[in-house]
Amino acid sequence: MLDKTEDKRGVRVLTREKIKLDHLIKTPETSKALAGTSVIRTDDPLKVTGKLMYGADYPKEGFLHGKILRSPYPHALIKSINVEKARALPGVVVVLTAQDVPGRNGFGAILPDQPVICGDKVRYVGDGVALVAAEAESIANEALRLIDVEYEPLPAVFDPRDAMKEDAPKIHEKGNILSYDKLRKGDVEKGFAEAEVILERTYQVPFLEHAYLEPDVAMAVPQDDGTMLVEGPMQAPFTVRRNVAPVLGIPINQVRARQIHMGGGFGGKEDSPIDLCCRAALLAYHTGRPVRMALEREEVTLQTCKRHPMIMHIKIGAKKDGTIEAFQGVIYDEQGAYAGLGPKIPPAGGSHVHSMVMMAGPYEIPNVTVDAYLCYTNHPYGGAMRGFGAPQVHIAHEQLMDELAAELGMSPLEIRRKNAFIEGSTTATGQVLDQSVGLRDTLEACAKTFDWDGKTQRTGYVDKEKTKRRGVGIGMGWYRTSIGTGGDGCGANVYVHEDGSVLLYSGITEMGQGAFTVLPQICAEELGVHMEDVRLVRPDTDVVPESGPTVGSRSTTLMGNAIILAARQVKESILETASEMLQVPVERLESRDRLVYDRENPKTCAEFRTVAARAMATGRRLIGQGWWAPPKATLDPETGQGSPYFVYTYSTHMAEVIVDVETGEVEITDYVAAFDVGKAINPKAVEGQIEGGVAMGLGYALMEEIVMDQGFIQNLSLQNYLIPTTLDVPDIKPIILEVQNKYGPFGAKGIGEMPNIPATPAIINAIADACGGRVRSLPADPERVFRAIREAGGPPKE
Amino acid sequence: MSMAKLSFKLNGKSLTVTIPVETLLVDLLREEFGLTGTKVGCREGECGVCTVLLDGTPVNSCLLPAFKVQGKEVVTIEGLEKDDGALDVLQQAFMAEGAAQCGFCTPGMILNAKALLDRNSNPTEDEIRHALSGVLCRCTGYRKIIEAVKTAARVKQDQN
Repeated sequence: MLDKTEDKRGVRVLTREKIKLDHLIKTPETSKALAGTSVIRTDDPLKVTGKLMYGADYPKEGFLHGKILRSPYPHALIKSINVEKARALPGVVVVLTAQDVPGRNGFGAILPDQPVICGDKVRYVGDGVALVAAEAESIANEALRLIDVEYEPLPAVFDPRDAMKEDAPKIHEKGNILSYDKLRKGDVEKGFAEAEVILERTYQVPFLEHAYLEPDVAMAVPQDDGTMLVEGPMQAPFTVRRNVAPVLGIPINQVRARQIHMGGGFGGKEDSPIDLCCRAALLAYHTGRPVRMALEREEVTLQTCKRHPMIMHIKIGAKKDGTIEAFQGVIYDEQGAYAGLGPKIPPAGGSHVHSMVMMAGPYEIPNVTVDAYLCYTNHPYGGAMRGFGAPQVHIAHEQLMDELAAELGMSPLEIRRKNAFIEGSTTATGQVLDQSVGLRDTLEACAKTFDWDGKTQRTGYVDKEKTKRRGVGIGMGWYRTSIGTGGDGCGANVYVHEDGSVLLYSGITEMGQGAFTVLPQICAEELGVHMEDVRLVRPDTDVVPESGPTVGSRSTTLMGNAIILAARQVKESILETASEMLQVPVERLESRDRLVYDRENPKTCAEFRTVAARAMATGRRLIGQGWWAPPKATLDPETGQGSPYFVYTYSTHMAEVIVDVETGEVEITDYVAAFDVGKAINPKAVEGQIEGGVAMGLGYALMEEIVMDQGFIQNLSLQNYLIPTTLDVPDIKPIILEVQNKYGPFGAKGIGEMPNIPATPAIINAIADACGGRVRSLPADPERVFRAIREAGGPPKE
Repeated sequence: MSMAKLSFKLNGKSLTVTIPVETLLVDLLREEFGLTGTKVGCREGECGVCTVLLDGTPVNSCLLPAFKVQGKEVVTIEGLEKDDGALDVLQQAFMAEGAAQCGFCTPGMILNAKALLDRNSNPTEDEIRHALSGVLCRCTGYRKIIEAVKTAARVKQDQN
């Protein structure tokens, strides 16, 4: 980022950097690791040459191949299972059924209610009923066909509202409502009584597929000391270990989970590696041999978690001047067959709880109620996907804001200016936002770059034939940093060697977001060494301290703080040693750019590595361990009041679209997205998150949907589950604002998930502005847009 | 399983292998030659991460029977690096622009871009978008990939 401006309030605005060509011809010899610099990613040289090893690229020699026999019914009893023919097939080493699970026959990120192998009952199409390990993948597949299972189909439930009915078939013994939570703020009855305009709307969103390009793979390798090594692409090695151990009936310290670079995760590889690693480990446990379990694309779609579908009812009341008085929301959140990450984790974790907390939007509203139901159904299970519960409710509240504005005769911008959070605002949970609130700054920055005022003058038909209409839309949003549970701590080790080189141990995983670059940047900055002096040790639960999962937009902030704390412990030794060597008091010493020097007389200095060698020779501590947890999260279970997350990222998006009113086709012609990220440690990586997130939000808006029919997924492949291509995604213009987070490393807060959240409603709102038709049940594919135009009485005349 | 001899040029080297006739090119490259820079994402020609160049034209190696390359030249991502370790301008541009995130589509993107620049040294943004439309990327939103191709084209022109 080269062009930086600062306004009076200290809000830094960064605009897109222009690449200098000499940069390309000659890579700089030393890339100083200043936080705020777009250093080239540490893993880029491997990625652009094809040398980076993903899970599927590891040699297969010596591995058995594991396969899963899946249920063909959404809900059925297993009457009998016969595996004899499969066992007799040459090349088959083992066939396992439920009775072969030595420990707990269940896994799940939070609540382990999904059987490793189903014994008595199946709950979705894709549930595992037997496992096979064979000498070749083709033999394992053949063996699956030789297993006879007799099922007794049961009535199934496919809608969360049906699942809640008293006479609904019970999917789990405890009943179909997995969690119910509520939020109560102020007095909504009074609020509605005082409102001059009241609107009621229902919005609906479908299951989505993560569609990470790398299909899942897991390897389980029994070790000679009796421990079990599991490795593969995974976002949460510690959660994997926590599941594999009880399944095998062994202590946690007997399982070692190692992360391999991921070909995309987006939340999905928090759940799926638990599933795959437990099953591969079980086969390895029984055979005593390494087992590899790789999924084909269709299997990934069939078996792994999805973004939660939701049905959202909202009633909103406002004064004529646009002041919102009351908000009443109901969420039917569909969990599918198993709990996974869905249910409540006190005080504030869980899918529907996140949705509940954010449902009223980034707006100050005095009276709010939200009722959030999370229900089992006989569909695939819901899991984390970029924004976990937040995109769904943003799609609802951002459309509602536009519908309310239209009702009041206000502009979509004005109604947001009137109600959007500023520093000191109180949220729906009663949390006072006392710092790092850049929401309105993002609104103004976005409107300026997008030229909202100019563009709103140029909407309407763009052609003489009156087939294409232009429109503009806005989406605002907020998103948490951290996961809001009681135990969101994060640890790091920093180890400085006598030659000044550094090892950084962190359990935060790399899935393309850039953690393996940003974390060493933070470490190098704090120690005062160069980026290339720091080597990050890849996540391995035998080696790195507990870091929690790589989710919740928490890595840069939580791990960054842990690294700084660890580095400071070592730096203390470095400065003490340098003080002796240079005869300068510690408090006058600065470590920077591989030098330790006297701030008042910089010529009095010593090389970092000389000081490190001296520190080691004099027996000083050169290993630091940092641990950082955010301020305590709170959320009252009765009222939903409290401070569930310690800081939020804010954003405003604006989209310009052209809608073909005869076909319902939508083209996005301009897009600006502004974010308050606290501090961009690596601005280019932040831009990458923004541009990729917007593209994902665009897919949610226009094309993505897992189509279900009686529990069967109709679009298992990438041929019919469509994601945006180069021809769908416009030139996205990112704007980065920095409103310092006092708890962040160098002021940073999370950015990973925020970008796709306001994108979807911004596009839907632009479509409505263009053609008058509003699609309240996503996606807004041509058919739905076409129908919405007809329902609105046909295309506008002028 | 019937076997047959296949002769072709791979990343500049002529070679002959005896393989099952039904072998797909992607499996030959990955399993026989260990060229795992060619990725597998869907095995149905949708995602494009298995792209290789066949006589300079991008093809999905997951759909192509290996014997279709008889007597022809195949270039994979590993073939772009010079013997002295120097990278292709496109590879450098992808790094400089931050065009790789998870990196899984990167080989496919770079090879499609290379085929484009080899036949059109100064492509428009629209031409770049069309040339890359057969490769899916779930991480980047394509912006930085397109910028990287533009940058590489500029650098190549400056060099000439």
